[in-house]
Amino acid sequence: MTGRGSPSRFLTAVLHNGVGRYVRQLQRLQFLFSPTAADARGARQFVEEAAQDFARQHPDVVLYVSPGSGTAPLVRAEYLNGTVREELIASKTSEEIVQLVTKLANQSGLDIIRIRKPFHTDNPSVQGQWHPLTNKPSILTVQGPRLQPQ
Amino acid sequence: MVVLSAARWIRSRLTDRFWRKQEVLKYARHFRGRKNRCYKLAVRSVRRAFVKSTKARAEKKKFLRALWITRIGAASLEHGLKYPVFISNLVKSQVELNRKVLADLAIYEPKTFKSLAALAQRRRQEGFLAALGDGKEPEGIFSRIVRHHY
Repeated sequence: MTGRGSPSRFLTAVLHNGVGRYVRQLQRLQFLFSPTAADARGARQFVEEAAQDFARQHPDVVLYVSPGSGTAPLVRAEYLNGTVREELIASKTSEEIVQLVTKLANQSGLDIIRIRKPFHTDNPSVQGQWHPLTNKPSILTVQGPRLQPQ
Repeated sequence: MVVLSAARWIRSRLTDRFWRKQEVLKYARHFRGRKNRCYKLAVRSVRRAFVKSTKARAEKKKFLRALWITRIGAASLEHGLKYPVFISNLVKSQVELNRKVLADLAIYEPKTFKSLAALAQRRRQEGFLAALGDGKEPEGIFSRIVRHHY
């Protein structure tokens, strides 16, 4: 958990998303749960009740529901940059799954590691960045044949 | 022949020793010497690294403030003011910019910083006139205090 021991990145948006139009970075959601297991009850309720509303509110996300998995219920989120994120939804209520899925839909697929600075700009300087000759008389910088010794 | 006690003959073995050690070694991979490879040495070094990183959070604030003060002092000297004069006169003129922002302005917006230095210089002159003058001159413009009623 040190600065150089753990990975870190700078604040970015994927391909400057949001500067022009906004493209949702979540590509698809896969719900894998078993139709009979006890801890998948929240997942089943979510699929029955809230999944359609979620799909209508987020028309650019594709939902895949595959009941029949013998393992723990989970939701797999795939993003446009190829990141795959799996979250367990065992013993969660339908509302909690809705919250989780909304959070996944609002994320970009960038790594969830320490962000070095909470700001980023491509053009930090409007007036021109300081250099050693900024506040010196301009006679030192002007070159050319017009500069004759008087 | 059914041997029901066969299960009791198998002792449970620790099978994930490798991954338990990797959890510690992953924070030591950028260290120098054997402590980036050998678990026994790495445990001590990683613990010390974590402790140092915790204590360094308070020191980072002190260090950055000192850096900003150095930079603001250097920039104001270019305009003929010393750091304490600059800061005290900015405060008296009710310019509530903190040292981080002033240092960034000095680097990326040199003309703005020059105008701030001029403001501080003028406020200084007004202060001298108010203290040493006869009272016949009108009060300085930048010496006026604006009171906000929130």
